[in-house]
Amino acid sequence: MARTAKKNPVDMSFSFITAVASFSVIVFIIGILYVLISESSLAIGKFGVIKFVTSTDWDPVKESFGALTNIYGTVVTTIFSLIISIPVAIGIAIFVTEISPNFLKGPIGVAIELLAAIPSIIYGMWGLFTLSPIMSNHVEPFLKKIFGSVPLIGILFQGTPMGIDILTASVILSIMIIPFTASISRDSFDLTPAVVKESAYAIGATKWEVVKNVVIPYSKLGVFGGVVLSLGRAIGETMAVAFVLGNNHRITTSLLDAAATITVTLANEFAEADKDIYLSALFYLALVLFVMSFITLAMAKFFLIRAERKYSR
Amino acid sequence: MAESIELEVKGLDFYYAGNIHALKKINLSVSKNSVTALIGPSGCGKTTLLRCFNRMHDLYPKNRYEGEILFHGRDILSKETDLINLRSRIGMVFQKPTPFPMSIFDNIAYGLKLNGVNRRSDLAERVEKALVHAALWDEVKDKLGASAYDLSGGQQQRLVIARALAVNPEVLLFDEPTSALDPISTAKIEELATSLKKEITIVIVTHNMQQAARISDRTGFLMLGELIEFDRTDKIFTAPSEKLTEDYVTGRFG
Repeated sequence: MARTAKKNPVDMSFSFITAVASFSVIVFIIGILYVLISESSLAIGKFGVIKFVTSTDWDPVKESFGALTNIYGTVVTTIFSLIISIPVAIGIAIFVTEISPNFLKGPIGVAIELLAAIPSIIYGMWGLFTLSPIMSNHVEPFLKKIFGSVPLIGILFQGTPMGIDILTASVILSIMIIPFTASISRDSFDLTPAVVKESAYAIGATKWEVVKNVVIPYSKLGVFGGVVLSLGRAIGETMAVAFVLGNNHRITTSLLDAAATITVTLANEFAEADKDIYLSALFYLALVLFVMSFITLAMAKFFLIRAERKYSR
Repeated sequence: MAESIELEVKGLDFYYAGNIHALKKINLSVSKNSVTALIGPSGCGKTTLLRCFNRMHDLYPKNRYEGEILFHGRDILSKETDLINLRSRIGMVFQKPTPFPMSIFDNIAYGLKLNGVNRRSDLAERVEKALVHAALWDEVKDKLGASAYDLSGGQQQRLVIARALAVNPEVLLFDEPTSALDPISTAKIEELATSLKKEITIVIVTHNMQQAARISDRTGFLMLGELIEFDRTDKIFTAPSEKLTEDYVTGRFG
């Protein structure tokens, strides 16, 4: 009997099962989005969009809610964690791809991946019991002494160094996202063709000059994609920062003050949300986070796809 | 004609990482202002030998040289050799065009800047000179700011040659420079190599025996890491002294 692919029942059910598995992802995304929107509809109706994201109120007693303090906390901790992590991560990537002797490449690579494998709650515990005292006793008083009276930068280092603040949270976040930026940067650097590097060496360039003028320009899109991916990760991170950020719904200019991110607010306040509007406002906050993460991940994908196209040319 | 020697290889052995003996007791001398071709079947060591002249093998760990390569009487394989200096005096052009991810102008200015040329007017002058030299100026003079990737393969290869020429090297090493190019671009590069030997010394590795016959003054035939024969090009191609050389150049193997 001749075989035909179309009517083979095993083949058809196999195709059907894989298709169902794939489409379920889309169903989950739509389902989650639907729940977020429907649960927050009460708050959306009461506060609107513009008012919710621009209001600094977060007052469960008066039932007045705004997302701005949370958005501010999320954005500030994310930005500072990127400022700390990007140079370290790119340094790691440069060392591993261009500088380190071969026998070190493996162990460093594994160490980076292990850093990525540590559950975030462990970062949070470590942050609370180890990092926070170090920050409040040593690092923060030192920074305050040096920068506290400098114009402009000084406002970032006011207040009592408690160790439960934006700075400590940013440091923990930066340690968490270093592996992502580092491994994507490393992969991008490795895509630089050996002959292009060799021809830079061949006209008398030093290692630093080759990295600066050939490797980084060649892979900048990939590195940027890695940075945006880590940014998405930092925005959504909860457990690592929940312990060390405090839960302070105020917009503060000092890095030594406590703050609240969207994720931390959600983790802390669901249990105490006793009124419908409070609960609905929390869902609304989650929706805002969903949109923020979605936009950053879409951007990361966009840049990574462009980078791949460029290399495959 | 009394020829002065630019590069002299004396008893050179080369081992890749893992003790792979890639070159065995090579002896040859490259005359100043000449084109020397290295031919032989794939894996014979001709590119390996070429990459010894600018110590390219040093970029990868555990490669080992034994013997000497004298460049104006000084052994470039010694530990004291300043590789940055060596590579600015002995340039290299690779098999595939390797423009840097920058504009046409900056590709050439890059090497100059590394060598301390920083004044804008000097840069512009030397970039133009190098492009004229590499017979590319007329094709790119109106788009120096464009990305080097916008050029055709043949133009990119001449850009890379211009980049190598810009820093005034004494020797230029070509590693199968035309194997990725069409016949017209190939002819242009060959013409360029022939005209360049008035000023510099050229060593070229090629798979293409006609190319070696057309442009070189001397030819070395390598096989399995050994230099079988090294002589005047006309002699190698018409009256070689070794049977192996004859079999190879007449196309009996390879």
